[in-house]
Amino acid sequence: MFDSLKKKLQTIRDKFTSNIEEAAGTEPVPPVVEVPEVAEPAPSRVLLPEPPVSEEVLEKEREEPTFFNKIKVLVREREVLLQEKDIEEPLSELEMVLLENDVALPVTDEIIARMRRDLVGRHRKIGSSVDGLVVTTLRSALCGVLGEGLDLREYIAGHERPVKILFTGVNGTGKTTTVAKVGHYLQKNGFSVVIGAGDTFRAGAIEQIRTHADRLGIKVIQHQAGADPSAVLFDAVQYAKAHEIDVVLADTAGRFHNRANLMNQLEKIRRVMKPDLVVYVDEAVAGNDAVIRADEFNKAVGTDAVVLTKADMDPRGGAAISVAHTVGKPILFLGIGQGYDDIMPFEPRAMVNELLGDEA
Amino acid sequence: MLDNLGASLKDAVKKLAGKTVIDRVAVDELVRDLQRALLSADVNVKLVMQLSQAIKQRALEEEPPKGMGVREHVLRIVYQELVRMMGTPGEVTLGPQTILMAGLQGSGKTTTTAKLARYFQRKGLRVGVICADTFRPGAYDQLKTLCDRIGVACFGDPNESDALRIVREGLPRFRKQYEVIIIDTQGRHALEENLIEEIVSINEISRADHRWLVIDAALGQQASEQARRFHAAIGIDGVLVTKMDGTAKGGGALSAVAETQSGIVFIGSGETIEDLERFDPDGFISRLLGMGDLRALVERAEEAVSAEDLDVNAMLKGRFTLRDMYKQLEALNKMGPLKQIMSMLPLGSMQIPDDAYDITSTKMQRYKVIMDSMTPPELDDPSVIGSSRIQRIARGAGVAPDDVRDLIKYYKIMQRALKGMRGMGSGKFNMQRMMKKFGRTQ
Repeated sequence: MFDSLKKKLQTIRDKFTSNIEEAAGTEPVPPVVEVPEVAEPAPSRVLLPEPPVSEEVLEKEREEPTFFNKIKVLVREREVLLQEKDIEEPLSELEMVLLENDVALPVTDEIIARMRRDLVGRHRKIGSSVDGLVVTTLRSALCGVLGEGLDLREYIAGHERPVKILFTGVNGTGKTTTVAKVGHYLQKNGFSVVIGAGDTFRAGAIEQIRTHADRLGIKVIQHQAGADPSAVLFDAVQYAKAHEIDVVLADTAGRFHNRANLMNQLEKIRRVMKPDLVVYVDEAVAGNDAVIRADEFNKAVGTDAVVLTKADMDPRGGAAISVAHTVGKPILFLGIGQGYDDIMPFEPRAMVNELLGDEA
Repeated sequence: MLDNLGASLKDAVKKLAGKTVIDRVAVDELVRDLQRALLSADVNVKLVMQLSQAIKQRALEEEPPKGMGVREHVLRIVYQELVRMMGTPGEVTLGPQTILMAGLQGSGKTTTTAKLARYFQRKGLRVGVICADTFRPGAYDQLKTLCDRIGVACFGDPNESDALRIVREGLPRFRKQYEVIIIDTQGRHALEENLIEEIVSINEISRADHRWLVIDAALGQQASEQARRFHAAIGIDGVLVTKMDGTAKGGGALSAVAETQSGIVFIGSGETIEDLERFDPDGFISRLLGMGDLRALVERAEEAVSAEDLDVNAMLKGRFTLRDMYKQLEALNKMGPLKQIMSMLPLGSMQIPDDAYDITSTKMQRYKVIMDSMTPPELDDPSVIGSSRIQRIARGAGVAPDDVRDLIKYYKIMQRALKGMRGMGSGKFNMQRMMKKFGRTQ
C-alpha cells in the first residue's frame, strides 16, 4: 500500500525543489539574509528546521555592513520570493497525483490550498534548504490530515469491561471479515472476545460469522435471520457481562447512508447496546464516495475510529487520507489480506515518514 | 458538494448561451468544471484528461452547424464525447449461455448473480446457478437462500474447497437441464496471482460465453488497474455496476469499460432481488455530471402511470384534489424511491433537504391510509374538512389528528407547487421553493 503514492510524491518533491531553485535564480546566490523590515509569516503547525544559527550570524556579519548590500539583498529577495506562478505547475501536478491515488477532490483541494498557503511567502528565508521546506510543508499537510493513531489494546486496558465495539459501514466493505480479524487480534493479545451476529439481513451472513468464529474458537451470540439486530447485540453484551468477557464485537448489516430507515435502525442499535467504540469500516479502494458516506455515518451514529479494508488490493491508499480527513477520527487498522492475521494497526506518523522517504 | 459541482457546470454552460462566437475563456471554464465533476465521480484521471482535451479541441475548432447555437454546439460535443467514452451498452442475448462472474471482494457478485438469475428467469429462460466461491464462509448459504427465494436451482458444496471441481461437476449436470448458467466466483483482486490462475482455469473449464466483471460504484482510481488485469486474464466482455443506490457515481466503471473495451451490461441499484436495470448511457451521464436526465424520468413515469391514472392537465389547471394526490402517491411508489426520481429531474443545482425524501415509504403509506378514511366529498373538496371531520378521519384511520392536519398541509403545499409549475414555461420554476416547504413539513 501507498507505494505508488510514495514514488509519485518523491518525483513531485524533486520538481518543487527544482522549480523553487529556479525561482531563486541561477547565479551563485549569496546566502540570503533575513531583512528585519519584512515581517515573516508565522510558520503554521510544524516548526521549520531552523538553519544553524551560527552560520546565519556569520553571514549577517559579512553582509550587513554596507547599505548597498542591504539593498542588494532586498532586491535579490524579491527575486527569490516565490510567486504563486512558480509553484503552480508542480502544485497542479501534485493535485493530479493525489487524485490519481484516490484522495477525494475536496481533500485534495485542501491539501493543495495548505501547500500553497505555506509555500508562497515562507521560502524567502530558506533559500538554501528548499528541499527541507517542501518536505516539511507536505508532511505537515499530510500529518494534519491523517491525525493520530489509536492503540486498541491500550484503549481496552484503560476501560471498564466489557468493552463494546460496534462495526458499521456500507455493503461489501468487509465488516464481517474485519470482526473476525479483530477478534483474532484481540485473542492473540490476551483478551477474551464474544461476537454478536448483528447482520440478520444478508443471506448467509450469520453462517459466515459463525464459521469464522468456530475456526477461531470465539463464542457467537446469534438469533435467526431477520431478527432485530438490537436484540441480538443486547444479548451479546449481557452474555459478556455474565461471563466476564473483555470485549464484545458487534457485527451489523451493511447499509447505505441514504436509507433513512436503515440508519435509524443503526441508531437504535447504538442506543440499545451503548457501544464504547463505533468503528466505521470502509475499503481502501473506494473513491470519492468514501468521503460522502463516511460523513453521513459519522453524522448518523458517530464514529470513533476507522478500519480500512482491502488495503492489499491497492498500492495507493488515498482513501485512507480522505476518510481520515473527513471523519477526523483515527484509523485503527488496515485490512491487508484474506487470512486472519492480515490486519495491521495503523500508525500515521510512520506512514507519512515512509511516504516522504525520510525523517524530518 | 456534488450538487455544487452540477451547479457550477450549469453556470459554465449558461455562459455559453446566447454567444455567437465560441469564447475560449468560457470553454476553458466549462472544461475545467467538467473535469472536476468527472474526477469527483471517480473517473480515471487520464481518461478525464483525454476527454477534456478532445472536447476543448473540437469546441474551438469545429464550426457550429447552421442554425445551432454555440451552447447547443458545445453541449453536443460534450455529450458525444462522453457517450464515446462510455462505450456501447453491453449486449445481452436471451438464449442459452454460460456467464462467469468475476470481481473484487465485496463488490456484490453473489447478490448480482441472484439478481441476474431472476432477470433471465423473468424473461422465460431456465436458469441454474453454480456457486464456485469455496473460500468465503457462508457464501454458499447466501446464494442458496437467495436462489431458493426465486426458485432457481443452485449447485455447490460448502465443504468442498476446490472451486474447479465444483464447476467440473456442476456444469455438465446443469447444461442438460438449464439454458442459462451463471457461475458465481470468489472475490479476488488482481494482485493475488493464485486466485487469478484459479479464475483462468474456471474460465477454461466452463468455456463461458460471457465473462462479466462486477464493479462497485464506489470503486475509485483502482478500477482501471483491476479491470486491466482481469481483462488480461480472462477477457472481460461486460461490466456490471453495483451499489448504484448509494451516493457513489460509478465513475470507476467507466475506467473499467475503457480498459476492457467492453460495455456496461447491468446496473444494480437496490437490495432486493428485482433491483437490476439494463444500462442506460443517458442516465449514467447525467448522474456523473450531477445534471438531471428528464428523458429517463419521463420514460419511467410512462411505464408506471397510465394516462387515466393521472390527469396532468387538470392538475396543471389547478383542479388538484386529494384524489389526485392519492393517485400521485401511488404512482410515485410505483416509480421508486423519491430520491431516485428527484435525481433524474434537472434540478442538479438545487439543495434538496435530505429529510424531504424520507416521506417515501412510511409517510406515504400513512397518507394513503388517512385518505382511505375520507368520504368522497372530502376527497373532491378538501376545504370542507373541519376539526370534527378531522377527528373522525383520525379515528377511522387509527392516527393522531395531527397526522391528518399534516396531510392537509402537505396537500396545500402540493397544490401551491403545482400552481407554481404552471409558470414553468416562462422560466419560473418553483420547484425549489416547493421542496423547501416540503422539507419543513416533515
